[in-house]
Amino acid sequence: MVFQQIINGIIIGSSYSLVALGLNLIWSITDIPDFSQGGIYIIAAYTGYFAVKLANVPFPVAILLGMCAGAAIAFCFERFLYRRWTGKGRIQLLSAIALFFLLANLAILMWTAKAKFFPTYLPGSVSLFGFMVSYQRIVVLAVSAILFVLVYLFIQRTKIGKAIRAASQDREAAEVVGINMSTVYSMVFMIGGALSGTAAVLISPLYSVFPTMGELPLLKSLVVVVLGGFGSVAGVLVGGIGLGLLESLGAVYISAAYQHGFAFFILIIVLLFFPRGLFGKV
Amino acid sequence: MRNMSNKTDLVGKSPRATIKVKSRSLIIIGVVLIILAVIPQIASDYIIYVATIAMLYAVLAGSYDLTTGYTGPLTFCHGAFYGVGAYTSALLTLKAGFPFWVAFPISGIMVFFFGMIVGYPALRLKGHYFAVTTFFFAHFIYLVILNSQGLTNGPLGLRNISPPESILGISFKSLQSSYYLIFVFGIAAVVFLYFLVNSGIGKILVSIRENDELAEAIGINTSFYKVLAFSIGAGIAGLTGSLFAHFFRLLHPTTFAWMTSEMVVIMAIVGGLGTLFGPIIGAGVVTLILELMRFAPELRFIIWSVALIAVLIIEPGGLMGIAGRIRGGKK
Repeated sequence: MVFQQIINGIIIGSSYSLVALGLNLIWSITDIPDFSQGGIYIIAAYTGYFAVKLANVPFPVAILLGMCAGAAIAFCFERFLYRRWTGKGRIQLLSAIALFFLLANLAILMWTAKAKFFPTYLPGSVSLFGFMVSYQRIVVLAVSAILFVLVYLFIQRTKIGKAIRAASQDREAAEVVGINMSTVYSMVFMIGGALSGTAAVLISPLYSVFPTMGELPLLKSLVVVVLGGFGSVAGVLVGGIGLGLLESLGAVYISAAYQHGFAFFILIIVLLFFPRGLFGKV
Repeated sequence: MRNMSNKTDLVGKSPRATIKVKSRSLIIIGVVLIILAVIPQIASDYIIYVATIAMLYAVLAGSYDLTTGYTGPLTFCHGAFYGVGAYTSALLTLKAGFPFWVAFPISGIMVFFFGMIVGYPALRLKGHYFAVTTFFFAHFIYLVILNSQGLTNGPLGLRNISPPESILGISFKSLQSSYYLIFVFGIAAVVFLYFLVNSGIGKILVSIRENDELAEAIGINTSFYKVLAFSIGAGIAGLTGSLFAHFFRLLHPTTFAWMTSEMVVIMAIVGGLGTLFGPIIGAGVVTLILELMRFAPELRFIIWSVALIAVLIIEPGGLMGIAGRIRGGKK
């Protein structure tokens, strides 16, 4: 029982971490808590679902499609909307929430509020310490881990990654030394959208696809960003898994009804006592 | 350092510290009041019902403007205070047997203090952190209402809430008399807000919005005034919630989910923040169009989110900003 909850917590936590990693990059560089990622999450999940259901594509292709859909939507939002309000933080935040609202309601309009279920793409399970863990769950963990490493390497090793890091430390100075901020902005939004899209398609087969599915992962991921602190990949990973564990264990030992409320307490405590996050470097 | 977001970005081109009602505006207000006053005499029950919702939303949007439009911090939890007020009042009458006339002020006062308890720590947060926290808070309140089944009856909702008891021989059982009650409350709330934002306190709030460091430097206790504006806004939302509960006599948690808070924000922005009358007009316009679109319920929220983005692109000052632009263009 406890082991099962721990596995569940790590899996749901790794999906929070994926979304939070993108949100963290976006928030630390452009100052936008990008609520629209919650909407992107929904659209990507449906993209993956219909790719599998209607076009019968294999699951990895569905993940790729979700990833591309997420990146494309986030790119458009940044290029055509957020960019016109550079320096007007409140308008950017409002438009981000409006976009989330828009995508969530579009999903209801197009695909009705009824939950849809992914077909099982990888049946069977493996025995771990005497407990059965399905292959699908292991895929979630493996893909999340690979993506984390890839994003980390991208930020640390590539030229554009260095530009992103420079921009997160000091925007003006980065511009002065000739970093093209337009590319950096587009890049972080595309990474963010791709990560949200991947997380959505990855986790949906374990649960289901429905139009209000974006709200909770979005809120949890925002908490993880605050928890992990800006510009800290390790902080996001620890924060996400930690929150996932707390929720799944708390649901059993504290209260199942308030499973989704724990994040709020953590947010308040962290913001009041550690305003820079637990691992913040900035 | 990261840029501090400019807090006047949503208040149109030339934010004015105060609004003064001019003679032409007085005529418009008078005509609107007369129309609202005669609606129950001539219109169908359905129109009375829609007008009541519009008035409740107008007070919500007006009180939201006090917190966000005049003082600055963007909040997304006004619907939560509305819900807490509604449930407090309904539970006081249902479970404790209080008459409405006692439960109504108590729910306002309770939500006022509740706003203070929430606002004091939360308003210490800067910029987007505060906004995100209020968004969460609204969701948390929804969870509490949904899950405290012993108290709120959870997803089944509360039924059989009594209408306000008759007073001075006026019974509030009929739709028309409830309408007039809310009408009188709406006028009182707007007059209160009008005098508040035009008073010294209103000027202090605007100075905090324009530059809170400067306001602090000239000796204004900014955190006190921010919490005060936040709590007064919350308290008025609580009173509105109480009226809502006793008007509809039926409460359900989803009425107070995050969409409600978002609708209040949309109304205020569409009308124009920091103008008091803008959000009230916005509430009227949004409610009217929401009702006209009752044939396509799924489409309504889509249109309003597109409308919000359009307003932000065209004129972040909302309808009042557009009106100001037209007036400015004539000169």
